[in-house]
Amino acid sequence: MIRLALPKGRNLDVALAAFRAAGLLTGLDLGSRSLRVQLPGEGIEVLSLKDWDLPLYVEHGVADFGIVGSDVLAEVDGDLLVPVRLREGRSRMSLIGRAALPPAGSQVRLATKYPNTARRVLAGRPWGAEIVELSGSIELAPLLDLAELALDIVQTGRTLAENHLVEIETVAEVAACLVVNRASFQRHRALLNEWIGRLEAAEVVE
Amino acid sequence: MKISAALPLGVAALLFESARRRREVEGRLVALFERAGYAEAILPILDYLEPYEALLTTASRSELYRFIDRDGEQLALRADFTPMLARLLAPRLSALELPLRLFYRGDVIRYEEERAGRQRELFQVGAELLGIPDESAEREILLLFLEALTREDGCGLQVVLGFAGALDHLLLEAATDDPRGDSLSLAAAVARRERGPVRRACPRLSAVVESGLPDRPEDLGPVAADGLRRLLALRDELAAAFPAVRLTIDLAEFARHGLDPRLTPAAGDRSYYDGVVFRAFAGVAALPVGGGGRYDSLFRRLGAEVPAVGFSLSVERLMDAAARKGAA
Repeated sequence: MIRLALPKGRNLDVALAAFRAAGLLTGLDLGSRSLRVQLPGEGIEVLSLKDWDLPLYVEHGVADFGIVGSDVLAEVDGDLLVPVRLREGRSRMSLIGRAALPPAGSQVRLATKYPNTARRVLAGRPWGAEIVELSGSIELAPLLDLAELALDIVQTGRTLAENHLVEIETVAEVAACLVVNRASFQRHRALLNEWIGRLEAAEVVE
Repeated sequence: MKISAALPLGVAALLFESARRRREVEGRLVALFERAGYAEAILPILDYLEPYEALLTTASRSELYRFIDRDGEQLALRADFTPMLARLLAPRLSALELPLRLFYRGDVIRYEEERAGRQRELFQVGAELLGIPDESAEREILLLFLEALTREDGCGLQVVLGFAGALDHLLLEAATDDPRGDSLSLAAAVARRERGPVRRACPRLSAVVESGLPDRPEDLGPVAADGLRRLLALRDELAAAFPAVRLTIDLAEFARHGLDPRLTPAAGDRSYYDGVVFRAFAGVAALPVGGGGRYDSLFRRLGAEVPAVGFSLSVERLMDAAARKGAA
């Protein structure tokens, strides 16, 4: 048996659409509230996990593979294989503020739910910096002067525009990634390669 | 006053049955090594930090428990047996009769992030074979490794083989503007099996990422092609002796083990394996139960010329894999 972990968040629809385009998981019904679903006859069990927990489940081999955003992956930094990224559902990790970047020498507070990524982004910038870790509504921070800058995901930029905020600098492109446990890849190589091959053939990944 | 029974994170006390079982496994492994002609080396848990400074990688440095002794010397808790054994043997080698067969057992202490849920104290046993330059050393060590593993956990074993420098030729060839940076980021992409970036940078590496092997050995360049042919022959020989073990060659798994100096991220930022490397997975566990390889260059860096091959096993992970399999 092989276990696939699917995220509960915004990447779920993107992931399901990609698998279905490749003729995979067609019999899957995640409509119920169950956390694990067996796919009859295929020897596959699907787990439904929160984005932030998913890499840990895969790293520990509880799930053999899964779909998770590169934003989360960059934050938890586990030892996972990342064979392909989904084409759909792309967004950007960006520095957000009310105007331009602060001048060199400034003391900057940066609000984010990605503290590790923020540390890497801040390294080498000409500022003294503090990271303000939040768990949601990051845009409020620069708006209400809790922080000068925010580091967050931007999809369309509509929320930002409505709040008179600017996407000052794109730090990284964010994509939903197929992640595989290192030991599981050795154990289920044939099946995983077949699935990845079908996703590639359906041109839903790159 | 009530005394708490709590222990620091990442360590465990074995009491009663678990202690007995651990000693039993340890006893069987030790008996196996002794029968194979290996002599025990007992090493201290505490050592100076200085002799290892040049050997540490960024990752292994961050795992070390280091502290200042009361006289001001920097000390470290043992985090790896092989470099310690190597540094103690290097100055004595000229007086020793080779080949030398040694085994060890004991704890290694490594700082692991809490998040990973890993133990910080690991009980290891391992064996080292010094003084044999040719493949008979790899064969002997791998046979002993497989024997030790199969004794404790007969089925569900997966051993992955590779060798350092296997992809050097392709990685360097694919680099364009910035030889060092391009090759290193490509090596990282191969190790993570990122198909897109690898296909764009070097189509001939695609097969390695997917199946672990190139379409044709010659794709690797003459030196590595020869290495691969020899490894394939060794794999077949081992597979015949251990039919229950899944023995595969996977060059992508060891993509970061480059040999060319241009593929070394920074001074010392390289594993000490410089020949055949291997890793074993057991049951459904995600972490390897053991691994090893050839590490002649470790002695060279310590000023001694001696060929060396060895392996280590994590006794807890081995027992854990066997127990989880029993429960399944």
